[in-house]
Amino acid sequence: MDNLGELLHGFTIAVTVPHLALMVVGVLLGILVGVLPGLGAPNGVSLLLPLTFGMQPVSAIILLSSMYWGALFGGSVTSILFNIPGEPSSVATTFDGYPMARDGRPTTALATAFGSAAFGALVGVILITFLASWVAQVALAFGPAEYFAVYFLAFASFVGMGGAAPIKTVVALAIGFAIAAIGIDTVSGSVRLTMGIDELVKGVNFVVAVMGLFGIGELLVAVEEEFHARAVSSKIEWREVFRAIGRLPRHSVALLRSAAIGCWMGITPGGPTAASFMSYGIARRFSRRGRYFGTGEVEGIISPETADHAAGTSALLPMLSLGIPGSATAAVMMGGLMIWGLNPGPMLFVDQKDFVWGLIASMYVGNIVAVVLVLLTVPVFAALMRIPFVIIAPLIVIICVVGAYSVSNSYLDVVMMLGFGIVGYLFKKLFYPLAPLVLAIVIGDKAEDAFRQSMLMSKGSLGIFFANKLVTSLVVGGIALLLLPLVLQLARLFRKPEPPTTETTSQEKVII
Amino acid sequence: MISRRALELATAVLTGSFGVAVVVQSLDNGIGWSSAGVDSGTFPFVIGLVIVLGSLYNLVRGVLPATSLASVPIAITQIELRRLAGLFVPAAIFVAAIPLLGMYLASALYIFAVLAVPRHQSLLRSLAMAAATALALYVVFERMFQVSLPHGALAAAFGF
Repeated sequence: MDNLGELLHGFTIAVTVPHLALMVVGVLLGILVGVLPGLGAPNGVSLLLPLTFGMQPVSAIILLSSMYWGALFGGSVTSILFNIPGEPSSVATTFDGYPMARDGRPTTALATAFGSAAFGALVGVILITFLASWVAQVALAFGPAEYFAVYFLAFASFVGMGGAAPIKTVVALAIGFAIAAIGIDTVSGSVRLTMGIDELVKGVNFVVAVMGLFGIGELLVAVEEEFHARAVSSKIEWREVFRAIGRLPRHSVALLRSAAIGCWMGITPGGPTAASFMSYGIARRFSRRGRYFGTGEVEGIISPETADHAAGTSALLPMLSLGIPGSATAAVMMGGLMIWGLNPGPMLFVDQKDFVWGLIASMYVGNIVAVVLVLLTVPVFAALMRIPFVIIAPLIVIICVVGAYSVSNSYLDVVMMLGFGIVGYLFKKLFYPLAPLVLAIVIGDKAEDAFRQSMLMSKGSLGIFFANKLVTSLVVGGIALLLLPLVLQLARLFRKPEPPTTETTSQEKVII
Repeated sequence: MISRRALELATAVLTGSFGVAVVVQSLDNGIGWSSAGVDSGTFPFVIGLVIVLGSLYNLVRGVLPATSLASVPIAITQIELRRLAGLFVPAAIFVAAIPLLGMYLASALYIFAVLAVPRHQSLLRSLAMAAATALALYVVFERMFQVSLPHGALAAAFGF
């Protein structure tokens, strides 16, 4: 265990008083940018970057990565309390987190989210510690066809769940894809679907859509139902924080499954967003209480949060080992690495052992610091739920407006956000599902690009999706997940689940 | 009041017209297969068609007196409509006022108006909250994170 020795050496670097202090500062700043709308980890990290030029590279990366952890945790806070996801990856957290908080259990929802997020991050770091070199090879094997297959898998595991009227689901999904296509087409460079508005060239940012659909839309639904925050007991519920954490091991299956999904999606470049949606979709299908999902189920919070953080953490690996930043934040950090005089890439593990293992050790410590700090703030955030609706409603409107504006300093975005609010209200009222719409907006563009690039490579033949073992198993897995509800329905129709039914479908999967 | 049927209809027309716009626009980009691979309009074109067809289906389903819809004839009652307007209209005015007044002044006025006019809060408290909101926005965005929010045409006229 060569790695273990290196890791212990890393701990001696990370666990020093100045470094712990840096972690606390970084995490607190991170929570702040994570909670604030329109600001995210990339903003925070870029603003801190100039401060780090005089520091040792290890100290600098510890400060920046701690900020990243803080922002990841902070992003879940607004999703749960106000139904406004700050980052694409915390959208799936709103599905059960917000209903639970609205039912008067904000402390439970937040504590559950943070606890499972910490678990996911921990699994991600352990993965990095032991599988660094192998993981780098897997990521390198990914071409456009594999990218598409991963996105397809995420879609399939989430969309086929049913529940809403099927045609309404199809319309919602298609609208999401169309919105994702607005702006510059990255494959050909041509401008698409701008509806004669030149400013739309930049496309429709996901934050704008989500602020409107979830923030404003939910507000309209709430005001119509004459919603008042349920009287939550006014004392600070410390005990509930620990009780919620203590209940987590009961859901160990969900935790482990979500962590596995998260790590897989983090290493393969699927990313945290696809991971959280996929994990939620799979949990909903396989959980015994799956049909209660969406009403404030504990596993509905655990699954997306664990997968999100597991993916977010393990996604740092390609940045370190290959020099490929997986996200905007990672890109800024990589810029920092170069300014400090380090070259990201495979040689980093050979030349800068202190830096790499100091960083990996700081991931363990930093996540513990982050979860402790964020749990300490739970009662403070939960208290926000007790503010009367008449005051909180205009504040949420302002948060959405400022958030939509600051994405790209555009007034048009604010107007569009308000429009999305009306759409969100109508859809919610008429039982159009919002989740497929958002998922399509977030990863629709990437999925289309990957599909077209693979078509270019194969000159139009679909055979490229079955060209090697990796891509074939991904595609077949996706198709299987899509067909699963159908198979289950058929099985239920025939009363006794006959083996022939499943066998023919599994054959069909291979043929398709 | 607004019936469920009217609401279904309006939504289907809304999604359908978006679909038509997508189809028409994507024709400009070219659909089909060219030397550069799949043309950039192809995917939106297909998606647009799906939206149009789906909306037509929802439209027909919404208009037909189906059993599932008959149970909820009224979607939004008069009172609910008034509550909706009470939230949305001030918000829309707030957004419309931003180019002129700027984010800070507009949000302060907005907070003050929705709190003081329906007498939810006393005049003094509304005023304090309005000022605190604008100040918090300024400190956090303009100062701490150097994200400039719109100052508005009015401020520009006074030379800010």
